[in-house]
Amino acid sequence: MAISGVRGGPAAPRSGLRVRELLDHERFLGPAFVTPALLLITLLVAYPFCMAIYFALSNSFIGRPSHFIGLQNFVTLWESDSFRQTFQNAFVFTGAAVAIKLVLGTTLALLLNQQLWFNRLIRGAVLLPWVIPTALSTLGWWWMFNSLYSVVNWSGIALGLMDPPGPNWLGQKYYAMTAVIAVNTWRGLPFFAITILAGLVSIPRELYEAAEADGAGPVARFWHVTLPLLKPVMAIVVLFSTIFTFSDFNIVFVLTNGGPINSTHLFATLTRQIGLESGQIGQGAAISLYLFPVLVFVVWVQLKFVRRQVY
Amino acid sequence: MEPISRRRFLATTSTAGLAGILASGVPPARGQQREISYLCWNNFAPASDKKLAEIGQRFTRDTGIKIKIDHIAHPQQAAKYASEVQSQAGHDLIEMRMHFPWLYETQLVDVSDLVAELEKKYGKPISSAVETAHVKGVWRAVPQYHTFFIGCYREDLFKKAGLKVPDTWEDLYTVGKELKKMGHPVGIPISQNYDTISTAGPVLWSLGGMEVDKDGRTVRINSPATEQMIEWYKKMYRDCMEPEVLSWTDASNNTTLNAGKSGWIHNPVSAYIVARNTKLVTADGINHHRSLAGPQGRHETDVPRHIGIWKFSKNAAPAKEWIRYLLGKREVYDEYVMSGDAFNLPVYTSLLDHPVLKTDPKFAALKQEGVQFHAYGWPAPGSDKVQRITNEYLLPNMIAKAITGTPTKEAVAWAEKEMKRIISG
Repeated sequence: MAISGVRGGPAAPRSGLRVRELLDHERFLGPAFVTPALLLITLLVAYPFCMAIYFALSNSFIGRPSHFIGLQNFVTLWESDSFRQTFQNAFVFTGAAVAIKLVLGTTLALLLNQQLWFNRLIRGAVLLPWVIPTALSTLGWWWMFNSLYSVVNWSGIALGLMDPPGPNWLGQKYYAMTAVIAVNTWRGLPFFAITILAGLVSIPRELYEAAEADGAGPVARFWHVTLPLLKPVMAIVVLFSTIFTFSDFNIVFVLTNGGPINSTHLFATLTRQIGLESGQIGQGAAISLYLFPVLVFVVWVQLKFVRRQVY
Repeated sequence: MEPISRRRFLATTSTAGLAGILASGVPPARGQQREISYLCWNNFAPASDKKLAEIGQRFTRDTGIKIKIDHIAHPQQAAKYASEVQSQAGHDLIEMRMHFPWLYETQLVDVSDLVAELEKKYGKPISSAVETAHVKGVWRAVPQYHTFFIGCYREDLFKKAGLKVPDTWEDLYTVGKELKKMGHPVGIPISQNYDTISTAGPVLWSLGGMEVDKDGRTVRINSPATEQMIEWYKKMYRDCMEPEVLSWTDASNNTTLNAGKSGWIHNPVSAYIVARNTKLVTADGINHHRSLAGPQGRHETDVPRHIGIWKFSKNAAPAKEWIRYLLGKREVYDEYVMSGDAFNLPVYTSLLDHPVLKTDPKFAALKQEGVQFHAYGWPAPGSDKVQRITNEYLLPNMIAKAITGTPTKEAVAWAEKEMKRIISG
C-alpha cells in the first residue's frame, strides 16, 4: 500500500487511515467539532447555572449544610423592602438606560455614517468607553460626581447652569439614579452606535436613490427606508443591552454601593450584599435568578420579532 | 561486567529511591519543607504590610517554614473567603475583621490554646475582640489588633473661635453650629457605609438604645432612645453638617478633614496619619480627643481584626507557629504595631498603653484604658442575622430616611419591621 510504504511500519498507517476515514463521515466529524464547545458550555455555563438553581431552592449558607426549601427564598425576598426597591430600580434603570442608548446610539451611528474627516480615528475613539475596564472608568465618574471635587457641578456653576453647591449627585435618590443611568449610557453607547452603524452600512444606496427620486426628504428617507431596515439589528442590540443592563454590577457598586437608601441597588449588587457579605448564598442565588423567567420571555419575544423581520 | 545503559541506570535508581521513601515513610528533604499561606487585607497603614513581609522572611529563616503572604482590598474579602470556603481550598490563614469569625464559625479551627498563651503574656483581650472572635465559648480566631474611632478635629479652628473640645454628643451640636458658620461643618456620614454605623452605634448606645437585645432575638430598635438619636441627627444635619454626607463613602470624612473643609469628624487616626505623612497643610491643625458620651455613658466602637485558620488547611500546626511568632513574641508584635503608626493598636489589656502612642503627641487621645469598646450590633451576639442587619445598612438608612423627610416614628417602624424580618428569617 502506498501509505504503509511511506510511513514504514504496518500498524501506524492502518490507524491513521481509520481516523481519516472517520473524519470523512459527517456523523463523526460534526460531533468532533461540536464536542469542545459543548464541553465548555457545559462546564462554564450549564454547571454554574444548575448550581445557581440548586442554591436558590435551598437554605444554603456559606460553609454550612443545606437542604431543599422549594420557593421559600423567593417568597421571603419579596417581603424585604430592599428587595422590592431593587426590583423597581432594575426596571427603571434598564428601561431608561436602554431607551437613551437606543436614541443616542442611532443618532451617533447616523453621524458616523457621514463622510467625516478622520473617520476611522473617530470611529475608534467612539469605542473607548466600551474598551476601558468598567470599574476603572466608573471610578473616574465617581470623582466627577464626588460631593467635594465634582467637576460636573464646578462646570455647571461656572457656566451659570447650576446654583451653588449644585446637585448632590450621589446623595439624593433621583440624582443618584440619574448618575448611574448616565454612566451606563456612556459606557453602552458605543455598542449601540457601532452595531447600528454596521446595519446602516449594509443598506443598499439604491433604496435611498429611489426614495429621493420619489421626492422623499431626509426625514421621510429615515422613517421609510433606514428605520425599517435597521429594525432587526436594533432588536438584537436592544436584546443584548437589556440583559447586560439588568445584570450591571460595577457601575452601581463603585458609584453608590446601592444607596442612598437602596435607591440604586440592582440585582447584582444586592446579590453580593446578601449572598457573599452576609453568607446567605441561597437567597443571593434567588435574587440573581428572580428575573430569569422575565428575561427568558423578553428574549423569546425579541427573537420572534427578529425572525419575522428577517424571513 | 555488562555496561549499564543510561536508561537502565535511571530506571533502577528511581525505583530504588521510591521504594526507600515508601518503606521509610519519610519524604525527601525538599518534600518535608513546610509551607503556609496567609491572606490579609491591604492595610490602611501600608507600612504595616511591608513590615509583615519582612517579619515573614525572618519567620522562614528562624523556623524553616515558608510563608506566602497575599493581600486583597477589604471590599473583596467577603467574596474571596466565601469562595475559599465553598471550594474548601485556598489559604491556610486568613485575616478576619469584626464578626467574620461568627460568619465562618464552622469552618475555623479552634484556636483557644493560642489565645490562652497570649492571655498569659499580655492579659485578657479587650471587650470588642471577645465579642467578635470568641464564638459560643470557643475562640475561632486570634485577636490581633484594632483600630478605633475618636474625635478628629481642627484644633487650630477651635482655638481661633474659642470653642471647647466636646465631651458629649450634645457638646458636639453646640460647637458644630459654630463650625458650620465658619465654613467648616461637622462631617458624619449618613449613607450606606460602615463609618455611618461606627457613629450611629455609639450615639444610640450612649442614649441607652440598641438594635437587638443580648438574646440575639428580640428587636429593640423601636424605643425612645432611637427617637432621641434620630432627633439628634436631624438637628446635626440641619445646623452642623451639609447634605453631602448623604453620599459619603468610608473615605469621604478623611478627605474632607484633610482638604480643610470639615472641622470635626468621627474616625480613626488614619486621616491625621495621611495628612502628616504626605505633609498636607492641614496636618498641624488636626488633633484628636476621645469619642463622645451621652446620658447613658460613653460607648466606643472599633474594628477588631483577628487571624483565623481554615479547617480545610492541611497545615494547621505550622499556621499556629506563625501566629505564635507574629503575636506571641513580644518584640515582633511590638515591631509590627509600631509600623502601623498607631492605626493598628494592640488588643490585649496589658499592652494598651503601647509605646507607639508616645511617638506623636497627637496620639495622646488614643489611650484605651477603661474604654468599653463594642462591635456593631452590640449587645446582641454577632450572629449571621445580626450581621445581615449591619450589611443591609438598616441603621444608616433609618437615619437617612428620617432626615430626608420621613417622620421619625415611621422611619423607626420601618427599621423595626426590617430587623424583625431578618431575625425571624
